Amino acid sequence: MIRRLNAWFDSRLGTSGFVKTALNKVFPDHWSFMLGEIALYSFLVLLITGVYLSFFFEPSLKEVVYDGSYAPLKGVEMSAAYESTLHISFEVQAGMVMRQMHHWAALVFLAAMVVHLGRVFFTGAFRRPRELNWIIGVTLLLLGMLNGFAGYSLPDDQLSGTGLRIFYSIFLSVPVLGTWLSYLTFGGEFPAESIISRLFVIHVLILPGVILGLIGAHMAILWRQKHTQFAGKGKTEHNVVGSRLWPSYAMKSTGFFFILLAVLAALGGLAQINPIWLYGPYRAAEVSAASQPDWYVGWLDGALRVFPAWEIRAFGKTIPTVFFPGILLPGVTFGLMYAWPFLEARFTRENDREYHLLDRPRERPVRTAIGTAVIAFFVVLFFAAGSDVLATVFNVSVTGLLVAFRVLLVVLPLAVGAVTYRLCREAASLPDEEGAPPVVVRTPDGSYHVVEEDGEEPVETGAPHARARGGPT
Amino acid sequence: MSEASRDERRTERSIGIALGVSAVTALALAFTFAVGGQPQVEGALLGVSLGSLGWALAAWGKHLLPAGPFVQERHELGADDAPSEPVSRLVQAGEVDEPGPGGVPAVPDPDEDTMDAMGRRPFLLKCLFGAMGALGLAALFPIRSLGPNPGRSLFETAWRKGSLLVNEEGRPVRATELDVGSVVTVFPEGHVGAADAQTLLIRAVDEDLVTREGREGWAPQGYVAYSKVCTHAGCPVGLYQVATRQLLCPCHQSLFDVMDGARPVFGPATRSLPQLPLDIDDDGFLRAQSDYHEAIGPGFWERP
Amino acid sequence: MAARPAAAVWVVGAALVSLAVVALAPASAGPAARTIETGEVELGRRLFETGCASCHGIEAQGTPLGPNLQGVGAAAVDFWVSTGRMPLERNTEIAVRKPPSYDRPQINALIAYVTSLDESGPEIPEIDLAAADIVEGGQLYRSNCAACHGAVGIGGALARTRHAPRLGPATPLQVAEAIRIGPGAMPSFGPETFDDEQVSAIVKYVRELDSPEDPGGIGLGHAGPIPEGFVGWLVGLGVLLVAAWWIGERE
Repeated sequence: MIRRLNAWFDSRLGTSGFVKTALNKVFPDHWSFMLGEIALYSFLVLLITGVYLSFFFEPSLKEVVYDGSYAPLKGVEMSAAYESTLHISFEVQAGMVMRQMHHWAALVFLAAMVVHLGRVFFTGAFRRPRELNWIIGVTLLLLGMLNGFAGYSLPDDQLSGTGLRIFYSIFLSVPVLGTWLSYLTFGGEFPAESIISRLFVIHVLILPGVILGLIGAHMAILWRQKHTQFAGKGKTEHNVVGSRLWPSYAMKSTGFFFILLAVLAALGGLAQINPIWLYGPYRAAEVSAASQPDWYVGWLDGALRVFPAWEIRAFGKTIPTVFFPGILLPGVTFGLMYAWPFLEARFTRENDREYHLLDRPRERPVRTAIGTAVIAFFVVLFFAAGSDVLATVFNVSVTGLLVAFRVLLVVLPLAVGAVTYRLCREAASLPDEEGAPPVVVRTPDGSYHVVEEDGEEPVETGAPHARARGGPT
Repeated sequence: MSEASRDERRTERSIGIALGVSAVTALALAFTFAVGGQPQVEGALLGVSLGSLGWALAAWGKHLLPAGPFVQERHELGADDAPSEPVSRLVQAGEVDEPGPGGVPAVPDPDEDTMDAMGRRPFLLKCLFGAMGALGLAALFPIRSLGPNPGRSLFETAWRKGSLLVNEEGRPVRATELDVGSVVTVFPEGHVGAADAQTLLIRAVDEDLVTREGREGWAPQGYVAYSKVCTHAGCPVGLYQVATRQLLCPCHQSLFDVMDGARPVFGPATRSLPQLPLDIDDDGFLRAQSDYHEAIGPGFWERP
Repeated sequence: MAARPAAAVWVVGAALVSLAVVALAPASAGPAARTIETGEVELGRRLFETGCASCHGIEAQGTPLGPNLQGVGAAAVDFWVSTGRMPLERNTEIAVRKPPSYDRPQINALIAYVTSLDESGPEIPEIDLAAADIVEGGQLYRSNCAACHGAVGIGGALARTRHAPRLGPATPLQVAEAIRIGPGAMPSFGPETFDDEQVSAIVKYVRELDSPEDPGGIGLGHAGPIPEGFVGWLVGLGVLLVAAWWIGERE
């Protein structure tokens, strides 16, 4: 049947050559190359569930009186946005599952992007000719975070509304332009009337459109440049070894898609997420203890908590505290991420050729150590965002915990980086697993020697503990 | 039957069973929807149905299809010397043109012509950028419509001289209402729920209150009022710790000393919560003497 | 046989009398709406002397180790002792809920004694959960209580090792008492702030929060985005990483 389809399209589009090339295209099979697929397929789930939700959600801050099936809120005044989200959760058929699947998919989408970015970073897959794809990927991560934040702010519940207030204050803190930026984005002084409907357009149309386009470019570049691969038998800088797109790669990938869909569906039905009916509708004068954003914004929340009370005030103007952790930190973080391929090329002076074989992380101790140190930094920030919950669960002082996190933020990355560097250097000096096991010979005087593979003089090992080849232990 | 094909038959059977499970659970899901639905059952059935389908496809791809590994050569990227397809110029009647090889009038160097064509007119290019810049400037005006001019609005709230303090139900607060150690959220009358005017009214021990310079008479009978909007990032500072007489903001743990003008003593906040000057009128109701004397909430560029 | 009908009358009569005694005798459970029995004040005084006076003084007048209890009110005594927060082992401790050291009759005795020293202070609150409006309770809870105790009542951290406790273990009466007296770091809310109906409404909502319906599935502790993030990573991404490892190559 594929042959018939190919012929039909070929006579109209001239695609047979392309189709045959495509079907036979070889993709390397390592499991760590499927991380991007997790992100891609999660995004697909977001699109599908999101379309369904958009048919029922009302992006409006108009006040309505609740008259639905959730008894503890009956008669309460709330926005149409909040009310429609309750309606989706309680009255729309499959609404709860769709809504929860959508939210779980968002968490997994961002986690997958982070893990995929980590794999690309630690294996050096961002090097020439793939710098452009790295830039696109970092942009996808940034846009994904923004879209996730926009999405969970749409229901106008107490928890996400608190986050919007903080977001407003961060915009406000931008020097010179801050007040105008906030007023134009939100439509006035907080809580302005337009923000939910604007976030809806951003979340449903603008950002998904840009993300889709960038994903297309990301994959087109991958297609054109062919995937990287680890060094190994038969693999060189000039070939790709793996399975063909059709039938086995496509089949396995489709199967993987359904498994992902299954995991998200199971979570969507079995694990409650974002129970907005328990948080109540957003009221500007109310707040809940233990308010946290979704995990991928956690580093920002943690930064706001641990950053000291420093402010710049001069000549009648202020650069307020939140500017530094709220604008400067993300700016520097993403700036460095964008610049990394070029920085590394400059420092290692290795920009002379294309790289298609991947590094093993231990072969690049400096890069790997910097990577783990940065991860440690953001993990500390993430835990700092949960400092009040940690304090409650472990019954310790929240103020003490925050002081400890400040110290940890400086000390832990340095320690992790240093340890990683040492481990990489040691690991790199070990023999490769693929090499033959060492041959040990026992001489008549009772001592053991390692025989070198190429027949050199046996190396004196000294202590009679080495295991003899083939003998009992 | 050989060992390999026996394994294959086994795999085939497992895949078939998995697909059967997928179908059955999908039917069960349809039934669940038909009888009204229940999220946990829906999630579980969807999970099993999709999961078995996914496993079946993946196992099929992994075990029953030609696995390779296959090898394919990489083509070299960045070989810039590949010429574009030949381009010729159409000769009109009467035109004289230089014939190229083969007698066909050819464009001398199609790539040079194409890539450098615009660059040969720098003056026009500058005019073009000027025009685009002007259009961009014009586009700012629709953007300006997105919101109002901030103006003085960040420096003012709805509190006025004589505003009655009302609770969230709109009831005015009497001076006899709160015991020492009580707290209530108040708004100016007519503006219940106003985000910038939200205020905490606390009954403190009169003698222990430290009165800052210029704030004499602001806290009658131990009633002290502070803006509830945190000066760090704007969350409502809702936690009043009576025992330590401190206000804690739940968002980023800024701590304010109620006895000393809500001065920040821990956490990322840099400025005290603004204090609302209070009065008790002749009927015993609490009123504001005026609006706050400074901008409430988080800092911004124009705030001195 | 004449003796048997007589025995039957005795049995039935005894049964009726004992029924009447049980029905009409005052309940010795909760402290609400009861008259103080004779001897209770004396029992309370003895209990107070052994268990409380070392910090609060022999006449509850207060010492450097513990505050003056005269006029704290019956609600306060019942709350602090029935939640086990008092007695403290060391006066420098922060009081937390623990198994109570006194049983109900003893607590009633302590209440009787302390209120006999000074009758002012909040009385044991009357709560009527049946008539209470859970919707109003929710609104009052979110605007007055959620900031410290959390939107779902899981508790919250306060500065310097104090905590607003999780509300699940509290009985309805203890919740009402806490609202009225403002124990520890908690502010108090008197009858002019919340009337008795409003207190009952808040109590009803708090009970509902202890075991919410969770129509979405497993509640994950109702602690919000933090456990959700962990589940997303460990279960969501975790399972998928295992699947990828199975499908892909491993060398």
